[in-house]
Amino acid sequence: MSDEYDNNKSYQAQSSEVLDGSAGSINPDMDYVRPAEIPEQDLYHAHSFIEKWIFCQDAKVIGVQYFLTAVFTGIVGLILSWLMRLQLGFPELAGFMTAEHYYQFVTMHGMIMVVYFLTALFLGGFGNYLIPLMVGARDMVFPYVNMLSFWMFFVAVAVLMASFFVPGGPTGAGWTLYPPQTILEGTPGSGTGILLMLISLSLFVIGFTMGGLNYMITILQARTRGMTLMRMPLTVWGIFTATVLAMLAFPALLVSAIMMTLDKVLQTSFFMPTILKAGEVLEYGGGSPILFQHLFWFFGHPEVYIVALPAFGIVSDLISVHARKNIFGYRMMVWAIVGIGGLSFFVWAHHMYVSGMNPWFGFFFATTTLIIAVPTAMKVYNWILTLWRGNIRINTVMLWCLGFIVTFVNGGITGIFLGNVSVDVPLSDTYFVVAHFHMVMGIAPLMVIMGAVYHWFPLVAGKMLSETLGKWHFWITFLGAYSIYFPMHYLGFIGVPRRYFEMYDSPYMTSTVGMNEFISVAAFIVGAAQFILVFNIIKTLKTGKKAEQNPWKANSLEWYTSTVPPEHGNFGERLPVVHRWPYDFSVPGAKDDFIPQTTAPSEVANTEVEKT
Amino acid sequence: MSEQKIDGFELRPGFKGMASDTGSDQTMFKGVHWGKAMMWIFLLSDTFVFSCFLISYMKGRGSTIVDWPNTSEVFSLYVGGVPVPLLLIAIMTFVLITSSGTMALAVKYGYEKNRKMCGWLILATAVGGLTFVGMQVFEWSKLIHEGVRPWGNPFGAAQFGSFFFMITGFHGFHVSIGVIFLFIYTYKVFAGHYDSKKRGWFTKMKGDYVEIEILGLYWHFVDLVWVFIFAFFYLW
Amino acid sequence: MEETNKMEEPNKQEEQTSTQKIGIYLWIWGLLFVLSFFSYMVDWYQFQGMLRWSLILFFMFLKAGLIMAFFMHLFWERYALVNVLLWPMTAIACFIFLMNAEFQYTLFSRFFYFVVGGA
Repeated sequence: MSDEYDNNKSYQAQSSEVLDGSAGSINPDMDYVRPAEIPEQDLYHAHSFIEKWIFCQDAKVIGVQYFLTAVFTGIVGLILSWLMRLQLGFPELAGFMTAEHYYQFVTMHGMIMVVYFLTALFLGGFGNYLIPLMVGARDMVFPYVNMLSFWMFFVAVAVLMASFFVPGGPTGAGWTLYPPQTILEGTPGSGTGILLMLISLSLFVIGFTMGGLNYMITILQARTRGMTLMRMPLTVWGIFTATVLAMLAFPALLVSAIMMTLDKVLQTSFFMPTILKAGEVLEYGGGSPILFQHLFWFFGHPEVYIVALPAFGIVSDLISVHARKNIFGYRMMVWAIVGIGGLSFFVWAHHMYVSGMNPWFGFFFATTTLIIAVPTAMKVYNWILTLWRGNIRINTVMLWCLGFIVTFVNGGITGIFLGNVSVDVPLSDTYFVVAHFHMVMGIAPLMVIMGAVYHWFPLVAGKMLSETLGKWHFWITFLGAYSIYFPMHYLGFIGVPRRYFEMYDSPYMTSTVGMNEFISVAAFIVGAAQFILVFNIIKTLKTGKKAEQNPWKANSLEWYTSTVPPEHGNFGERLPVVHRWPYDFSVPGAKDDFIPQTTAPSEVANTEVEKT
Repeated sequence: MSEQKIDGFELRPGFKGMASDTGSDQTMFKGVHWGKAMMWIFLLSDTFVFSCFLISYMKGRGSTIVDWPNTSEVFSLYVGGVPVPLLLIAIMTFVLITSSGTMALAVKYGYEKNRKMCGWLILATAVGGLTFVGMQVFEWSKLIHEGVRPWGNPFGAAQFGSFFFMITGFHGFHVSIGVIFLFIYTYKVFAGHYDSKKRGWFTKMKGDYVEIEILGLYWHFVDLVWVFIFAFFYLW
Repeated sequence: MEETNKMEEPNKQEEQTSTQKIGIYLWIWGLLFVLSFFSYMVDWYQFQGMLRWSLILFFMFLKAGLIMAFFMHLFWERYALVNVLLWPMTAIACFIFLMNAEFQYTLFSRFFYFVVGGA
C-alpha cells in the first residue's frame, strides 16, 4: 500500500480554486486520515480468455455473470407466470395444460423468482459488482472462493432446470415444499423432480455461503482509509445486512432439504406422519410435518428481507442522487435496516397461523410482526422526506424509485392486515395473500432492480441507456403491475383460493371470469414490456451514446474509478481516501451541488457540510 | 490476539473498545486476518446448521409417542461379558479432545515459527481425527448389525435411528473434511510453505502460519459440536 | 476517527509473534478431560430427573465455554468479534424456546386424538 499521505499536491491545486482568497492556508490536520492498516491486496490477474471471462476472479465480472444467469432464470419464471395466467384467464386456450402442469408452474415460478432470481440478482449480482467499488476495495477479499460461488450457483441453476426434463417433471408441491404431500405419490414430480429441487437448493446454499463470506468480510475488513461503517452508502448497508441474514437463515433451509431428502430416499420419518394411502398404511410414521414448516419459515421469513433489504438500500441511494438531496436520517436508515434484519428472525411463524401449531404462538408472532412495521415505516417516511423540497429530476431512475415507494407502501399495508391472526385466518390462502407478497417482495424490489439497472448501466458498460425506452418500460410496468395485483386484493376478499387450477362451477368462477381475463391480459403486456429493457440494452451497447464519467453526479466511490468501466483492481495506482458520507448533495456554499466522498474537508472549508 | 499495535488508532479494551473498533475506518475486527474472520463467520453459519439439526431432534424426540430407546443401553459395549454404558462414546470423546489439545499447541508453535513442532502436532491431530472417524465407522456398523436403520430400529421410536445417523453422519462428515485438510497442512508445514510464503495451489494466495490457526478454529469447532452431541444425544 | 496531530508514516505492521504460554493450554486440556469424565459419570451413576439434566447442561456449557474461550482464543479476542459471534445465538435461543413449546403441544394433541380419542 502506498503509505505516503495521499494526494497532498492535488489537494492544494484544487483547493486554491475552491477556497480562493478565503482563509488561505491549508490545514493538514483537518484532512487527517489515519494510515493504512491492511496491506495492499495482492491480486491474481487473468492470463487467458478462460480466466478472464469464464472462471474469472474479478468481482465485477462475477457480478455480471450472476446477473445474467439470474436474469435467465427470471425469464423462465416469467414465462411460467404467463402460462399460469393463460390457464386462469383463458382456460379454453390452455387446453394443453393439465392440473399437474399448473402446479408445477406455480412451484417453479415461486422458487425461481424468490431464490434463483431475486436473491441471486441482489446479492450475487449487485453485491459483487458494487461492494468492492463502494467500500474502496480492489476486489472481494477471497476472489477464488468468489469464483467458486458463482459456478456453484450456475450448477444449482442447471440442476433446477434439468428437473423440467426428467420423467414426471419438476416438483409441483408449491414453492414451500410442505411435506407430507411433497414426496408422496400423486403430487407431480414427487420422484426425481423433488430430489433435483432439494439438491439444487443445497448447492445454492453452499454456493451462496462462499459468496456471502466474501461480501461480509470485504465490508467489515477491507474498507479503504476513512471509510467508516457510518460513511458507507446505504446500498452497502442493505446488501451487508441481507448477507448476514442469508448466512444465518440458509442453514435452516439446508437442514430441511437434507432431512426431506432422507425422508424421500431412505424412508426416514422426520416430517412424515402415519399415512393411509388407498386403505394401506405407508411405512412412514411418527414424524412431524409442522417441524418442516418451522424450519422452512425460519429460513423463509429472513429470505423475504434478504430480498427487501438490498432494495431498501439501493433505492435510498438512487433517491438521494436523483433528488440532489442528502438522505433524510441516514443513521435512522442504517439502524432501521439492522433492526429489521434482527427482528426478521423472530417473526417466522406468521406464515403458519392456520397450520395447527401451538395456539399461543399466534400472539407472540403477531406482536413481533407488527413491531417490525415500525422500522419499515420509518424508512418510508425518510424516503419521502428525502424527496421533500429536493431538486427532483424526473428521469427513468427516479420514476422507478417513486414506483417502488408506492408499491411498497401498498404491499406493506396489506402485510399489516395479514400479520394479525384474526384477519389472516379468513384471508389466508386467498388471492389477497398473492397480491400482498407480489406487491411487497415481487414488484417493489423489481422496481428497484430496474432503477438500479438504469442508474449503474453507464458504469458497467460505459454507455447511457435510452431514456425514452426507459420511460415506456416504466409506465407500462407500473400501470400494468397495478392492473394485475390491485384486482387480486378484491378476488381475495371475495374468497377466491390461490393455487387452484380452476374454479369449476363454484360462484368464484362465474363471478370472476371478467376480472381474471383482465388480469391475464395485463400480465401478458407487463411481461412483454420487460423485453423493452432487453432491447434497450442491446441497442445501447451497439449504438448508444458514450457515458461521461459520473453521469449522475453522484458522490460514492464507484463513480471515481481510474477508468470507466472500472478495470481489475478498480482504482488504479492508489486507493481513494474517504473524508465524508456519500450524501453531500446541494450543500450550501459548495461550488457544485455534490461533494464526492474523496474531497478533503479543507477543500470545502467554507461550506456547511454535515459532520459524518 | 492480545498485544498488538495499530497505527493512529487507540486499541481500547472492553465495550468501549468495541464501540471505537466498530466506529473506525478500514476494519472492524482490529488485527484479525481476513481468512480468520471468514472462518469465524463460516463457523457461525455452521453453528446454525447444527443448531437446526439439534432443534429438529428435540422436536422429533419430544413429540413422539413411542418410547425413545435408552441410549445408555444401546451404546454400551460388552467388556468381559459386562455391559459398560457409553464406553465407546467416552473413548471417542477422549480422542477428540486429545486431538483438540494437540491442535491448540500446533497453532501456538506455528505462530512461534517452530516448523517441526507444528508439523508433528498437526500430524498427531490428523491421526486423532482419523481414529475418531474409524471408531465412528465401528459404532455405525455395530448398530446396523443390531438392526438399527434410518427408517426404524428394534429399540423404540423410529426417529432414533434417523436422527442418530443424520446428526453423527453430518458431524463425521465435518471431521473427515477436517482430517483431509489436516493431512494437507501437515505436508505444507513440513515442506515449509508457510516459511517461504509459497502461494496456494488454487487460490494463489501467499502462505502464512495464520492458516494453521484458521484450520485450528475449524477443528475446535468440530470438537465443540461433539460436546453438544455428546450431551444431547448420548447422555440426555 | 482518532484526533492525532502527527502525520506519521505508517509503520509496517509488526509480525505477530507473541503467543500464549503453553501452561494455559495444558491446563485447559486437562480440565476438558476432567469435565468429560464427570459428564460420563453422570451416566455411570444413572442420575435421573432434574439433577441429571442440570449436570449434563452444566458440564456441557463449561466444556463449550473453555474450548471457545481458550482453544479458539475468544478470550483474547476483542469484544467486537466476540459480540458479533454471540448475539446471533439469541435467534437460536428463541427457536429452541418456541420449539420446546411446540413439541409439547404436538405431544399433547397426539395423546388427545390418538390415545384418548379426541373430544
